[in-house]
Amino acid sequence: MSYPQTLEKLVESLCRFPGIGPKTAQRLAFFLLARPREEVVSIARAMVEAKDKLFFCSNCGCLTEIEPCALCRDSRRDRGLICVVQEPRDVLVLERTGQYHGLYHVLHGALSPLDGLGPEELRLPHLFSRIKENNVREVIIATNPNVEGDATAAFIARLVKPLGVTVTRIAFGLPVGGDLEYADDLTLSRALEGRREM
Amino acid sequence: MFLHKLKLLHFRNYEQQELSFNARINIFKGNNGQGKTNLLEAIYYLAVSRSFRTNYDQELVHWNKNDFFLKGNFQKGEDFYAVESAYQGFSKKFKIKVNGAEVKRSDFIYQFPVVVFSPDDLLLIKEGPAGRRRFLNLEGSRLIPSYYRKLKDYQKVLQQRNRLLKEKRSNFFNRDLFEPWDRALVSLGSSIIKQRISLLKNLEAQAQVFFEQLSGYKEQLSLNYVSSVTMADLSEKTEELFWDQLNQGRGEELKRGYTLIGPHLDDFLILINNYEAKKYASQGQQRAAALALKMGEVNLFCQARRESPIVLLDDVFSEFDPERRLQLLNFLRQREGQSFITTAAPFDKQGLQEGEFAIFSVYKGKINHEGARVNPGKNAPAEKNVASIQPKFDH
Ligand SMILES: [Zn+2]
Repeated sequence: MSYPQTLEKLVESLCRFPGIGPKTAQRLAFFLLARPREEVVSIARAMVEAKDKLFFCSNCGCLTEIEPCALCRDSRRDRGLICVVQEPRDVLVLERTGQYHGLYHVLHGALSPLDGLGPEELRLPHLFSRIKENNVREVIIATNPNVEGDATAAFIARLVKPLGVTVTRIAFGLPVGGDLEYADDLTLSRALEGRREM
Repeated sequence: MFLHKLKLLHFRNYEQQELSFNARINIFKGNNGQGKTNLLEAIYYLAVSRSFRTNYDQELVHWNKNDFFLKGNFQKGEDFYAVESAYQGFSKKFKIKVNGAEVKRSDFIYQFPVVVFSPDDLLLIKEGPAGRRRFLNLEGSRLIPSYYRKLKDYQKVLQQRNRLLKEKRSNFFNRDLFEPWDRALVSLGSSIIKQRISLLKNLEAQAQVFFEQLSGYKEQLSLNYVSSVTMADLSEKTEELFWDQLNQGRGEELKRGYTLIGPHLDDFLILINNYEAKKYASQGQQRAAALALKMGEVNLFCQARRESPIVLLDDVFSEFDPERRLQLLNFLRQREGQSFITTAAPFDKQGLQEGEFAIFSVYKGKINHEGARVNPGKNAPAEKNVASIQPKFDH
């Protein structure tokens, strides 16, 4: 038996979400059909609204609905500090810690010639002019701990250090609450690289 | 490590077969095309969840069936493991269970060490450097914990850098763009080169012992790493040399559009009495050298993992003269682990003692145990009652 056409279209649309297969899509479709109309409308509206109103801050690249974004406007934040991250969601993760009070620079990727991502695509020239114009004293690089993230970090460090700015890379290592003996070799060696004096 | 029992269903030319093995040496006799190599393949597959002959599981299914199933009872030290592998042809689904619990294929690899030697391994000596690099990478991954990860990262860096070289070909050179990839190439590459050099040194020492025995203490086997980084060795100097030579070759790389230096272009020489085996050794010497590399690998495994791997020797005996056959048999007797040998020629026991071997005959996909009594090894496992993934076949 095949679905009515409208239902098929809904299932197909839901299938486009990352991590959603046909089975889950079908479950979600039937969930929506079982909810009151207003609720379904408000879910759909939320999606469209987010798409219409959100964009990337022209200064730091964060997701925002005002220009410049709330983070860039906030006068209590330390303007001498810029944290470089790969994705807009990384900003949310770091903000949740409540430990960081500087500004951000979102690259929307990492250096990858294979994907056609070079310094211009990552808006790195803009980062360098931000650093020069705003008397930044430290750049914290929080790109991912893989080949591309490391190359991006090395690229930035090499060009920023001569400006007399401190460049640091966030440490990667052991999950808190984990046992040393269960850490894999790679995590351990990265943790050793990022060790600090006590 | 031992394999006590094996069950095959619809695997290659076996419809259904159950076997109990000797804990030391198992010999499979039979003409070619009867299923001797298929049996070794089944043991290998069960232990490492892939074949040494094909990458396609579908090829392992009996010609007029849709699924295959393997079950083996392994013993490691005092522990027993019932391992089951099931493949479904329709859905292309594959499952492994260890003692009744499903495990992921990627977690399973290298849990049960096996070393296989077949006539194809002669290509290691006869053919180009690609096969020898593959050998080094495989052994490195199995024996050195960080090797595989470094190799994967190196290959990624190499791809990225080659793309950059292609883009910039006949164009200007931007040092800023290249620097991070150059640094990564040199740092990962030097580390891989050093790990390979020390791996090869250890392997040489082990293989040498076996090779001397096999050749009756007359010949010497040596393995020399040949790096595209001139003068590379185990010292700190290697990074510097790599860096300098990379920069010297810059013009040529930009012209050609790919990386011209690094471990992805390295090789090693196999020398017998200081002469390159590929060019100067006889067929017999080459065979002995190839086998010595594999048996050296067996000994390295024992050192690194404190585990004696299962050794599978496919059609090796017919290739050696009686003297070398005896030496090989002695090596297998003296080592700790279990061995499986196939042979098309009549098998001469050459002093094997009652209880340390079993002989099987293989004919048209059926195996019969003949002659010597099967020694089940100490503390043979009691079959535990665990949920099996064995499919219900109708017979
Ligand atoms: Zn902003």
